[in-house]
Amino acid sequence: MNPAQRLTHLFAVALTLGTLMLIAAGGLVTSTESGLSVPDWPLSYGQFFPPMVGGVRFEHSHRMIAGAIGVLTLVLAALVHRSEQRRWIRALSLAACVLVLVQAVLGGLTVIHLLPLAISVTHACVAQSFLCVIASIALTTSNEWRVSSPTPVTGASALGRLELITLFFVFAQLVAGALLRHRPNSRPDAHIILGALIVLHALLVWIKTVRVPHWTKLRVHGAMLVTLVLGQVALGIASLVLTRSASRIEGLPSTAEVLTTTAHQTLGAAILMTMVLLYLRSRRFYREAPAA
Amino acid sequence: MICSWNRATLTALLLTLFATQAQAASVSGSASFQGQAPAAEPIKMEADPSCKALHADGIAADDVIVNANGTLKNVFVYVKEGLSGKYEAPKTPVTLDQKGCMYTPKVLGVMAGQPIEIINSDSTLHNVHALPKNSPQFNLGMPLQGMKIKKTLAKPEVMVKVKCDVHPWMASYIGVLDHPFYAVTGEDGSFEIKDLPAGTYVIEAWHEKYGTQTQSITIDDSGKSDVAFQFGV
Repeated sequence: MNPAQRLTHLFAVALTLGTLMLIAAGGLVTSTESGLSVPDWPLSYGQFFPPMVGGVRFEHSHRMIAGAIGVLTLVLAALVHRSEQRRWIRALSLAACVLVLVQAVLGGLTVIHLLPLAISVTHACVAQSFLCVIASIALTTSNEWRVSSPTPVTGASALGRLELITLFFVFAQLVAGALLRHRPNSRPDAHIILGALIVLHALLVWIKTVRVPHWTKLRVHGAMLVTLVLGQVALGIASLVLTRSASRIEGLPSTAEVLTTTAHQTLGAAILMTMVLLYLRSRRFYREAPAA
Repeated sequence: MICSWNRATLTALLLTLFATQAQAASVSGSASFQGQAPAAEPIKMEADPSCKALHADGIAADDVIVNANGTLKNVFVYVKEGLSGKYEAPKTPVTLDQKGCMYTPKVLGVMAGQPIEIINSDSTLHNVHALPKNSPQFNLGMPLQGMKIKKTLAKPEVMVKVKCDVHPWMASYIGVLDHPFYAVTGEDGSFEIKDLPAGTYVIEAWHEKYGTQTQSITIDDSGKSDVAFQFGV
């Protein structure tokens, strides 16, 4: 790895963390119900920096962080084009630029059109997809990725299928969660059923990586996935209890509710990212052994 | 000749007066509160220091205000059924002020199409976010003190919530009707709906927390009718 490649990798890792922070900031906007506290876009009350009071603190901070992430995504694309010969990583960095632009427009539209469900849910899904793209760039520009090549093992295809099914459930859960967030009085049945399916599949992935000796490189990753998923279940139960309790004053969310629902949403994004990275790593390290 | 003209004029005047009195009925009454008045929760205004500074001694939530005489403030009372004919919306605007980071009044009535003048009397910024279901929603920024905006709500709807997303404790409710027969209870919990044509009506009383109640009334020849609503836990 040359210095330019190392810089690109570290930059992508930092941007991944920054994007997680942006998702948390967006979660705070939804949880505090301050999404419309700034009624105009792209300016805020006709200004670049309005007084940071009340709900404006959350909405405008989200916009500022989003703006910074947008600029940093362009920088990452420039770094990738300078240091990378692999065309698909270059394409990935351009896809990230497109996604961040689309996301900014969706953010503006959701404000201007007063939080229409379809746009708000799409805004949430694109945010987490963007996170996965940036995290994938961070992974594929790492030294681990560069020096690895797939080892033939029996059962690699089966593991890949299980991971893809789990990934599908996690993404479906993201949509179900976003729908529930933006329609707080709707029934959480689909969200709960998907949660149970994800717990089951995450455990299956982890058990496979623990029980089969040649998948040592994935064990920590699998354990991390299970830990995050179990933590997410706890946060999900707490979020449901808090959002449906009668403890609101004048209909306003409590601090505990704001923090719990925001953490639940952010951890959901982290699980999706973990699952994408796990799938990519398992594909990179292992391939199905030819039949004897 | 002069005498007969005077007699005719006098008769016409008396008939007009009688007819007017027979039609100019009114419904009055009060909204009483039954049970223990709920403790008013203090509003935390730390999110905006300029709001907090306006209420040095603190301020309580205004969703339930039980008056000293045991009646309920901010109950919107209106004729729900029984009217016929069309009524033109006044051109005079109704004022909704943002003062002390609270809405004044908390509950108000307008006719569909009547202008609502929204004022920002505060030195801080507000957004006015109206959430009607029958008319288009709007969300407007009011960053400057003294700023005024005129808006209308096109279709009848009881009630339309108006809120400020900057200061989430701020909420106001507007009863939008296609007639002028409504009132809001004040400091003594009483209301009066004037100039109602004679007839049988369904009167509804709405409260933000305690929901709605209806009563059927018939306005008799005396032209007056009393209605008592009772809210509570």
